[in-house]
Amino acid sequence: MSAEIVRGVIHRACRLLDAEDWDNFLAICAPGFAYQVVAHSPEIRRDMIWFDQDKDGLKALFEMVPQHLRRIGTLLRHVSVGEIERQADGAWLAISTFQCFHTDQDGRTHLLAVGRYEDRLSIDGSPLLLSRTTRLETRDLGVGSHVPL
Amino acid sequence: MTGRSAQDWNKPPALPASHFTDGRIYRDDAIFAEEQARIFSKVWKIACHESEIPNPGDFRTVEQAGVPLVVVRGEDAAVRTFVNVCSHRGARIVHEASGNAKRFTCFYHLWGYDLRGACVAIPRPDAYEAAGLDKSKLGLRAVRTETRLGLVFINLDDNATPLAEYLGDALEAFEEVLAINDLQVFTYQHATVEANWKEWQETNLDLYHEYMHVALRRTQTNPAAMAERELIVYPNGHIRGGGAGYKANYKDYKGWEGRSDSHALKGLTAADFRFTHLFPNSAMNARGTVMRISTFTPLSTHRTRIEWRGLGPKGQSAEDWKLRSKHYAQYWGPFGRNVPEDLLAAELCEWNFRNGAAKYQLLAREEGMRGQDDGFLRAFYAQWGRMMGRTASDPFGDSKKNG
Repeated sequence: MSAEIVRGVIHRACRLLDAEDWDNFLAICAPGFAYQVVAHSPEIRRDMIWFDQDKDGLKALFEMVPQHLRRIGTLLRHVSVGEIERQADGAWLAISTFQCFHTDQDGRTHLLAVGRYEDRLSIDGSPLLLSRTTRLETRDLGVGSHVPL
Repeated sequence: MTGRSAQDWNKPPALPASHFTDGRIYRDDAIFAEEQARIFSKVWKIACHESEIPNPGDFRTVEQAGVPLVVVRGEDAAVRTFVNVCSHRGARIVHEASGNAKRFTCFYHLWGYDLRGACVAIPRPDAYEAAGLDKSKLGLRAVRTETRLGLVFINLDDNATPLAEYLGDALEAFEEVLAINDLQVFTYQHATVEANWKEWQETNLDLYHEYMHVALRRTQTNPAAMAERELIVYPNGHIRGGGAGYKANYKDYKGWEGRSDSHALKGLTAADFRFTHLFPNSAMNARGTVMRISTFTPLSTHRTRIEWRGLGPKGQSAEDWKLRSKHYAQYWGPFGRNVPEDLLAAELCEWNFRNGAAKYQLLAREEGMRGQDDGFLRAFYAQWGRMMGRTASDPFGDSKKNG
């Protein structure tokens, strides 16, 4: 049952991000939520942090999204939740793989990125995301994105 | 006040030749091939930073003008560059983006090369004796390499002018910063953009495009200083922007804390913002606490591969790297505020020039080489024209043909 709740939160988080329903996405994030997007560079042989925001930072960033020049279209995150483990501190850790597709206004779809989500969740009471680390396999993101994947 | 007829639309603008470009320079295959031969095979480019190859045997693979290269630090600590192609059958030798090697061995027939490029191993060499093949003359193709202030420059032209002469004073905005800070590359990204390389470079050199960055303009920028900043043009098409004393204002960018001078690179304050572009495809930017090196490689008339390296001081704590990564990524990362807009702008112009819907670009702003003057763009195309033996506004000499 716990695993089902964890899966449900992760799928819901992706659906809310797809819909750019920022308020409801933030509503399932704990007050101390942290969102990182990271990648490993074989060029410099280092792990890199490409996005790093807490909940307040995300809220401010989402408010600025309408001010940005963006490629018209929608994102769709296809997520497959894999391992789910309970941590010593009571939080749940879920490792998922994801594919993020962009569909333009003419209905043409291309694969933007693939990677893994490492989500920490609390499901005691109302289920909440404690943190998300997105580990990208894709490192050439074309024009990039003003929202986290 | 009406739209223009096709005839008017297609007619060159009534401007000085230096003040516009003809859209065919972005899509013509012959011009692209000529650019590879006359520009990219002749100029100095930043291949990498020395911190990427700190130890003997460390290498980085890069590319210029479609030529794969391997930059390697030798046992004598000298940095050398070779065309990454085996003398035997033309196979690519080094496939990894970076690494460490005592020698380079081609996967195909195991020919081996030392770090100075000499051919040192040929399996069963006796069979070449009859044909008189001399191993000592089978070394890798060496490429001109010079280092300056930690930057590794390469040039495919054996007869190119020395780097110092090519650069002149163009590095002056970064001389002190690069000299007194012991820097290392801490982040790297690349992107393939669907745009001609000049359309990408226009986005970099067009200061007027700051209007596109709405979030940036409403928060971070410093409008009064922007209007007054000086545009400096050096010989060989290099430019310097930002000017001495130009400062960005970060405190109004919602959700992001200000930048403390305690994290500034030596020789800069946290708010300092400056940039230098070296013709045609190398650039440096500084935003107080971090530096960026940008380079690009044209892939075709309408595809360009861009690389960015972020630099900060060596020997910092994990927390410090996290902070600098954040400062860097806020503007220049793939999820940053600026770079995605710049890339998209280049792509949105490209399609219209590729299919001929757009005919000309206007480079006609004049503000006394201050503020948002188009002087950088005119300087860029002046150098392009010198190297190409064409003008960007009339690349096929139509005005002469048509009298």
